[in-house]
Amino acid sequence: MFILGFHFPASMGNTVPDEAVVAKLDEAKVDVSGINEIKMLTEYHGQKEELSYSKKDTFMFKALAHYIQTAETDYMIYTNRYQISELSKRLDSDEETMALCKKFDSMAHFKITAA
Amino acid sequence: MAALRQIAFYGKGGIGKSTTSQNTLASMAFYFDKNIMIVGCDPKADSTRLILHEKAQNTILQLAAEMGTVEDLELSDALKPGAGIFAPENPHGWIQCTESGGPEPGVGCAGRGVITAINFLEEEGAYEAEGLDFVSYDVLGDVVCGGFAMPIREGKAQEIYIVMSGEMMAMYAANNISKGILKYANTGGVRLAGLICNARMTDFEYDLAWALARDLGTHMIHFVPRNNIVQRAEIRRMTVVEYSPKADQALEYKELARKIIANDFKVIPTPLEMDDLEALIMKYGLEEEADIDNIGKSEVAA
Repeated sequence: MFILGFHFPASMGNTVPDEAVVAKLDEAKVDVSGINEIKMLTEYHGQKEELSYSKKDTFMFKALAHYIQTAETDYMIYTNRYQISELSKRLDSDEETMALCKKFDSMAHFKITAA
Repeated sequence: MAALRQIAFYGKGGIGKSTTSQNTLASMAFYFDKNIMIVGCDPKADSTRLILHEKAQNTILQLAAEMGTVEDLELSDALKPGAGIFAPENPHGWIQCTESGGPEPGVGCAGRGVITAINFLEEEGAYEAEGLDFVSYDVLGDVVCGGFAMPIREGKAQEIYIVMSGEMMAMYAANNISKGILKYANTGGVRLAGLICNARMTDFEYDLAWALARDLGTHMIHFVPRNNIVQRAEIRRMTVVEYSPKADQALEYKELARKIIANDFKVIPTPLEMDDLEALIMKYGLEEEADIDNIGKSEVAA
């Protein structure tokens, strides 16, 4: 089973607890200190939109910072994006993050960078 | 040396099995140095076109017909090295390709070609090639036909990836293929290793594919988005990995390849009853504002 690119052993089945994913992120020692803002550029059927996210105390921020630090390029893999949204909806609660989750659930193409 | 892994890509006709499998296998060879033999099990014989840069000129069934019997056939006649970056002399992994072929449309049993091809490859020692890491079968459609079930029936392919999408018939086929796997799981040791959603970019497609995977007892190993670069590469008879290795879509296939190589989650599936499958599609497939009472009503009437 793979969540956010992390491998979870088969013995965990197909319903990995959220805490296990958070623990993997913790183990990855994501350093968010140098990241104050995450910028995203989305595109769908030629419509472009720029997004900014800076809620540093959320699961969403930590997961995005980890993605930026480990990804080869600024392109966001769709599966990871959907999984970040799915987890964030359960682990975060503020309006700004939920609004970003809704955008993540779309079919749009996302580019992501740290600012 | 790691043990040879035999995998298979199944899925409904037209879902993009051959495209998905070739792009994924190309990534396994190019980015992760895996050596692969592709056995095309589709009468169309297009499971290796993007790796060979041409449609396979001679299928095993064609060659056998030309020579009289399959016993007269040499392995080198039917098993061709990949072109370009997949050729054996290149620094990354290599890919070798063969196609079972099939009878003329409307004549004979298409699955027969699959049986003949696998038996021939075994007898000729194709599975014992030095350095071979993966054998991949690309199998047409449903498993109602016993011939197409051959790779899972006799323990040839141990791990099955079902290529599907959020469309009803693709999900129906995925469920049906799971029934086939279940049937042979205890005798041949075959396991379902995951669903690959080759997205049509329809509403709630990720949720739908994820929920089907969960109910089948497996996981959706990767969601492959739709991207025109796949078609552009196909026109040149190439995989995206070779056509544009730094393209966003190449990264998607690279990630899928990484997961397949690391995948240890292989299960005996728990197929759904038809009513449960329909309920799942109704739950996730309807638009947010749609109501179950509107079923059967036109857009204007509802």
